[in-house]
Amino acid sequence: MKNFQLNEKQLGYLMILPSIILVVLVTLWPVAQSFYNSLFDYRLNDPTRSQRMLSANMDLERYVDNYFYIDGQLGNLEGSADGEELAVIQQARETIEGFHGELESDSEIQAKMEQIDEMLMNFQPVSDSDLKYSKVDNEFAEDYRTALVSISEELQTMADNTDNEEAAQNYEQASSLLAATSDNILESNFIGLSNYVKYFKDSRMWQALSNTMVFTVVSVAFELVLGLAIALLINRAFKGRGIIRASVLIPWAIPTAVAAMMWGFLYDGQTGIVAHYFNEWNLIPSTSWLLSTSSGGMFSIIFADVWKTTPYMALLLLAGLQTIPQSLYEASDVDGANKWQQFFKITLPLLKSAILVALLFRTLDAFRVFDLIYVLTGGGPANATESISIYAYITLFSQQNFGEGSVLSVIVFLSVALISFIYVRLIGSDLFAGRTK
Amino acid sequence: MNKRAGIGFYLFLVIFVFLVMFPFIWVFLTSIKPVGEIFTSFRWFTANPTLASYEAALTNRPLMRYMLNSFVVSSLTTILAVGCAAFAAYAVTRLPIKGKGIFLGVILAASMFPQVAIISPIFNLVTDLGLRNSYIGLVIPYLTISLPLSIWILSTFFQKIPFELEESAKLDGASPFQTFRKIIFPLATPGIFTTAILVFIAAWNEYLFALTINSDDIWRTVPVGISMYQSEYSVPWGDISAATVIVTIPIVVLVLIFQRRIVSGLTSGSVKE
Repeated sequence: MKNFQLNEKQLGYLMILPSIILVVLVTLWPVAQSFYNSLFDYRLNDPTRSQRMLSANMDLERYVDNYFYIDGQLGNLEGSADGEELAVIQQARETIEGFHGELESDSEIQAKMEQIDEMLMNFQPVSDSDLKYSKVDNEFAEDYRTALVSISEELQTMADNTDNEEAAQNYEQASSLLAATSDNILESNFIGLSNYVKYFKDSRMWQALSNTMVFTVVSVAFELVLGLAIALLINRAFKGRGIIRASVLIPWAIPTAVAAMMWGFLYDGQTGIVAHYFNEWNLIPSTSWLLSTSSGGMFSIIFADVWKTTPYMALLLLAGLQTIPQSLYEASDVDGANKWQQFFKITLPLLKSAILVALLFRTLDAFRVFDLIYVLTGGGPANATESISIYAYITLFSQQNFGEGSVLSVIVFLSVALISFIYVRLIGSDLFAGRTK
Repeated sequence: MNKRAGIGFYLFLVIFVFLVMFPFIWVFLTSIKPVGEIFTSFRWFTANPTLASYEAALTNRPLMRYMLNSFVVSSLTTILAVGCAAFAAYAVTRLPIKGKGIFLGVILAASMFPQVAIISPIFNLVTDLGLRNSYIGLVIPYLTISLPLSIWILSTFFQKIPFELEESAKLDGASPFQTFRKIIFPLATPGIFTTAILVFIAAWNEYLFALTINSDDIWRTVPVGISMYQSEYSVPWGDISAATVIVTIPIVVLVLIFQRRIVSGLTSGSVKE
């Protein structure tokens, strides 16, 4: 092996392999999963829906456990009841045994149930989900479930009608046992696009989407204009460039959550200095306006975002400005062009691709906004500043609803994809220029 | 535009720097005020400066532990991401392999993916692996952000190294990997270092994954830890401003030392040279 050498191609593929594996594992696969999850009624906090099931399933662990008692309890009831009631119970027992027999006729399920039965006898938990859950025929699951529910209801009626208190209690017990058993038969929670339909009619989703768009458009527009102005002003030789560069970089470098906490303090209705001065200068109606009204909340997050990212925009544009050859301006001076003409005929056209790239990155960042709003306003007051990412996060992790939350994630993903697509078409091949030769 | 800088220009600069730095200045001035004064007056300078808020910030919550967590997670992420990215960027810019365009397209797309679109599957994955409330559990999702970023920046740096060097190494009989290790890698070190700083800052600042995956207080990172200082009933602004100053200092130091590199890294992807 010592003299074995890879040629350039083999080496190339080998070098690129780890990155490909990681990107697939931590980015592409999760996005695909999000799409898949969005098609299910999938909730972490509901045991009957905590798995994604394309077909009906049975929770065999609970079923076997319950079935053991059903047999005993119905037997008991048969012993004590007579006449019409006895007939009903016998009929019920027959039905259930019939379904159970059908279930056992599948040798794989029978083997599983025996194994589980043994484990339950020894008080062992069944943690292997392949053993615990078993696929069953959709129609069978529905029939069995309906049968159990209707028997359970019958027993409940019998409990209500009888005068004998002890008998009533027994009926009620059996009824609730059967109801519990029916919950062990899990119907498929694949619901296709119903989640999407729900969100298309959801006013909170549209509100969040429009909040996100307002935030994105307004803050990016301000950042572009201010950033360009700053870049033009500092694009010259002067002393103290280092201080400017550092002071511009610090807001960019600190964590957004920390910046949001700082602004939360500055905006605070009681102790906030910004709220205090804005109010003194009659810029805002009252000191509490900034954080406790919807328009104030939106203004606050946009203002904080402009403060944090304008410097970054200015840096990107300054780098673009510095690539424009000085000779162009000298030549136009000779031709007698004024400053405005120079700006519109030389600077802007030559800066176009730098502006578009900066806009692309900023628009995407702004559209995904999460930490700033989450820490500063928490989406309030009354959801007035809730961005679509925040709504998705709340649905996913506060409500533990992974199915519906994934729909919102997918909506964010598709919007971002659309925005990137438009920008990449505008920028064209420049984005890749100089990377692949 | 070689305009000369006049008095007006410097005045503008001073106002600009003051406005940009104002939140920091105010938060610092607040952090040395006695707590009572914060809630009663808007005086800029306190007559009785005190470090009480700093003491409270460090004792009420494990701020130093947050800093350690952030440091470990960001460092691991940086090493892993930049390591993998250096190989990939070299291969994609300088070796004759197929599918470069597709690869870079996927990388660029991956860097634009919204984190909220991948958080739930990543949460399930990390939970299934038993890695919640651990360092590795955060490093995995952080690669989603840092790996595409590193590959993207590094490929510009690798592209700038003259191609003649490789050809003469080849003529001297060096194997492709030797060329990478002995010729290109040393030349790319400044670029790799720059990329590492940017990746480190990105990982240090991440919020969503840290909030979701490491929910135990002793595993929280700085951004999440700071945002937890406020409780439902009271907002201890003294503690918060002191904590903000403490966590901002390392970043200010980092920025002051490496500002040129950071700027070159930030702008490398966006401007043709």
